[in-house]
Amino acid sequence: MSGEAILSSEEPLKPGQQRVALSDVISQISQLEQQNRLDEAANLAERVLAAVPQHPHVLHLSGIVLYRQGKIAEAIARMEKSIALAPNVALYPRNMCEIYRGAGRLDDAVAAGKRAIELAPDDSRAYFNLALIHYERLELEESVRICDRALALDQNFAEAHFERAEALLLGGNMAEGWESYEWRFKLKQAEGMLPKTDKPQWDGNPLPAGKLLLVADQGFGDCIQFGRLIPWAAKIAPAPVLACSGDLTPILRQIPGIGRMVTRWELTGDFDAYIPLSGLPRLAKIDPGNVPLSEGYLTPNPELVAHWGAQLDRLVPKGKRRIALVWAGRPTHKNDKKRTLKLAQFAPLLAREDIAVVTVQKGEQIAQVGSYYGNAPLINLGPEIADFADTMAILKNVERLITIDTSVAHVAGACGIPASIVLPYAPDWRWLLGRDDTPWYRSVRLFRQQRPYEWGDVMERVARSLD
Amino acid sequence: MLNTELCACGSGLRRIRCCGADFTAVPDAASLEILNPKAVEATTLFNEKKFREAEALALKLLDIAPNLRAALRVVFEIRRAENKLGPAETLARRLASIPAESNAVAAAAHLQLAQMLVAQGRHADAEAAAREAVKLSPRDANTHHVMGVVLTETGQVHAGELHYRTAMRLLGRDDGTVLANLAWNLKLQGRLDEAAGVYEQALAIRPDNPRGIGGFAQVEAGRGRLTQAVALLDKALTTWPNDRTLRLLRALMDLQDEQFDAVITRLDGPLAELLPPELAARGQAAQRLGRITDAVSAFATGKQMQRDRYGQRYEPSAFLQKAEACKAFFTADQMLALPRAAPSDGPQPVFLLGFARSGTSLLEQMLAKIPGFAAADGLAPVSTLVNMATKLAAAGAEADYPQVLASIAVGDGQMIPSQLREQYIANLGNAGVIQPDTKFITDRAADNHWHLGLIKLLFPDAPIIHVLRHPLDIMLSNLGQDKKLEANCGVSMVAAARHYDLSMSMIKHYRGQLALRYLPVRYEALVSDPLIVLQSIVKFIGAAPVKLPSKAVVRINAFQPMPRIPAHVVMQQPLHERGTYRYRAYEAALPQLFSEVRPILEGWIEELGYGASA
Repeated sequence: MSGEAILSSEEPLKPGQQRVALSDVISQISQLEQQNRLDEAANLAERVLAAVPQHPHVLHLSGIVLYRQGKIAEAIARMEKSIALAPNVALYPRNMCEIYRGAGRLDDAVAAGKRAIELAPDDSRAYFNLALIHYERLELEESVRICDRALALDQNFAEAHFERAEALLLGGNMAEGWESYEWRFKLKQAEGMLPKTDKPQWDGNPLPAGKLLLVADQGFGDCIQFGRLIPWAAKIAPAPVLACSGDLTPILRQIPGIGRMVTRWELTGDFDAYIPLSGLPRLAKIDPGNVPLSEGYLTPNPELVAHWGAQLDRLVPKGKRRIALVWAGRPTHKNDKKRTLKLAQFAPLLAREDIAVVTVQKGEQIAQVGSYYGNAPLINLGPEIADFADTMAILKNVERLITIDTSVAHVAGACGIPASIVLPYAPDWRWLLGRDDTPWYRSVRLFRQQRPYEWGDVMERVARSLD
Repeated sequence: MLNTELCACGSGLRRIRCCGADFTAVPDAASLEILNPKAVEATTLFNEKKFREAEALALKLLDIAPNLRAALRVVFEIRRAENKLGPAETLARRLASIPAESNAVAAAAHLQLAQMLVAQGRHADAEAAAREAVKLSPRDANTHHVMGVVLTETGQVHAGELHYRTAMRLLGRDDGTVLANLAWNLKLQGRLDEAAGVYEQALAIRPDNPRGIGGFAQVEAGRGRLTQAVALLDKALTTWPNDRTLRLLRALMDLQDEQFDAVITRLDGPLAELLPPELAARGQAAQRLGRITDAVSAFATGKQMQRDRYGQRYEPSAFLQKAEACKAFFTADQMLALPRAAPSDGPQPVFLLGFARSGTSLLEQMLAKIPGFAAADGLAPVSTLVNMATKLAAAGAEADYPQVLASIAVGDGQMIPSQLREQYIANLGNAGVIQPDTKFITDRAADNHWHLGLIKLLFPDAPIIHVLRHPLDIMLSNLGQDKKLEANCGVSMVAAARHYDLSMSMIKHYRGQLALRYLPVRYEALVSDPLIVLQSIVKFIGAAPVKLPSKAVVRINAFQPMPRIPAHVVMQQPLHERGTYRYRAYEAALPQLFSEVRPILEGWIEELGYGASA
């Protein structure tokens, strides 16, 4: 479309301008938004709105673009206006529900979600969106019930199955939860995690030695957490082959029972059945009462422990308690927005006189260290860490790890190293509810949000817990 | 058609006989021989002060043979006498580059070029010619003297001292000028007692040397002998009442002595008739008298003069490029692959960071009073290792710093960080900084913020102390200074703010990408609770328990003789809190004063915690 397009029919055309159909422009805004060309989409939407300021769909679309640009308040204003102008369009409250959730306005999100269902009682996605809100509000039974309504309309709706699994597992209903959890490989983002094979998924029955393929799927944290079930599997199907990424080999190698480790699909050899590590809890019928090895099952390499001990002796001022810290997760994680913090949010911790903070953060977020000028000495150790073997050895040299819900938390727990995990109000299912300990790791303490999206008091409590 | 176009350089020669000449096609020595009698004639005319005739003849001769040395020399002398510096430099360079019949002649030509550039204050430009002169004529005292001046004024003070001493040895006697220059060199090295002795010798031989007397007075002031300094200057001013440098030095002594009205009286008159350093001194006196508007007028006039009259400009482009290159190279991933110098037992450097006027010199003064600490100031900066690092790492190949450091990951490069570390320590040793009891050396080189990546490779565990101060106070303080700063950013407050932003962003980058042993220290705390800050630093550095000076001693910041006295100690003052949040009174009196720099600095003010609360 030409940069000089104009929509108002009253205004005479100037040279170089042309009239275009509104529907064409609207679909173009949508396209730009889907191609992540947000600035262009926003520009176009602004120009169209200048001509048709009351057009509900343009308002709605521009709201979505604004939301994705991080301009939440303006986005909500636009979208609320579009609902006021066209109160019977189901799409508007359905999307509004997600936007309110992102803005932390969960009451409004519920209302919008319900309104969307009222307007489109056959739209399975409308139910799903509402189920997400109920999960965020820890209304788990309601979340499961609404997922069931979505699944009644579309029984192959993988995301709804998975959401149902998370709600069940978080609520401690493990047996039923594990069944729904099997839908995770049908999710779009799970593609490529499993081998392309016609062999069946393992059913838990005995297999000859070396004929079971274990797949270290999902995130590093999950692999470490579920890796504890490898010895259990090896009792039934001895010497299984473990396929995992190179980053994980130094850690998982320590777990007894593994026959062979491979980092490429071509090297798996013949197998009779495969199972992702995240499929083992279902087969082993794990529930909060029977988690094995919660005292720890990984040991840092003693040479590395000594090496990092000497490093820390040089880098950390004498007489300070050493507290390790991780404040950000992998940005591609689906719940990263909910769990990832800014270093500065740990202000109460960083204000303590008696500690030195050893950050074991990796990735782009380490740059935040450059903006820290606080009281506690901070040693940015992330840049020196080559792999998880280093992380384990460093953690062995500190008093405690304080972390968000990320892989390093599992590294600490699996080594039996004291760790405090700060959790969102509606956490990942594995941390269950209403307890400050976890059946998965005896050395871990949980610090939960009391209200959704409010970290302030969590930070205070985790800092005070060092008293 | 004859090409009669005159050369644009202003030599008076035709272009094709001057800058456009083909010097492979000029007459050879045998042919020049034929013209020599005529060249002698031109020289004779010149010596007889028949300049027009000498010039006309020399130009004709050069039109035949553009490489005729004696004729070139005549035209050069005439252009220099006419103060036509451009053509004079062109001719001097030509004299130095054409083949000479002997090394002595070639050396003289190079020396002449070097001296001309030195006279213009272009010491760095003079370095190559001065080096050539020494190589060509190593037994000539003059070449060593000029080399000494060039090295001293380009910050290579120890090499400079060597050449002054060689010059004296070759002369076989004491020379007032060489001695005075040597004394100034010793002063720059912080060897004030020696410098005073040498000044006394120099001035006894050659008392008519106002520069020497000025230098001696500064040395005396640096030794805490303000009365003697004042007496020297007062006496000199009776002999040379119109010498502005002596007058300014005398005013600075008044400033030191808190005689603020006297400063203003000495440096009175319309602002436009003062020079930038005079304006800075007058402004500072007004500042201490609480005359904010007068102070800012004087400061601002000085800055404007630097820009308008002396054409000084902020020149950030090279530094922006450097920032980009350093940020691209010194990343966590890249650094993980590079070897580090092995730990060593010798004295440990402590690197001080901080934009000009943040308080790093104050901190260095205070640390230097602790037993075991030595102040290196900026005498042997890490930046001098960059060339060596590049040569070692590139191993003959073409490469740029810092990218070239990638090759130290290769086997035979593993030793390079240790070699560079040794060189750094050796440089400090040569600078006389290291004493037998020295355990820690503070390095406050002004460009440390660029080199934290290299520092990490050489001294992986070195403490890095960053002195922070309210950015607007830093700007205000720099406004009142007439000092040359990196990228010439001292020419305006906006330039200083931009460069502050660039420097801070470098430190931020390194802190994010490297595991540094970093401690931020606040200027405001340093002047209000000096002992607490010192204690925290000593603890952070991990020095064995040391006896800190008493609170009173720290407060007075009294002069204390040390083997090497950093240049900044010369104006040592008792601790005061006048400079803490001084910007507030200035902004109240002149609401627009910071309007251009606030937007540049706002982010830092917040980030450093000087925002709403401060």
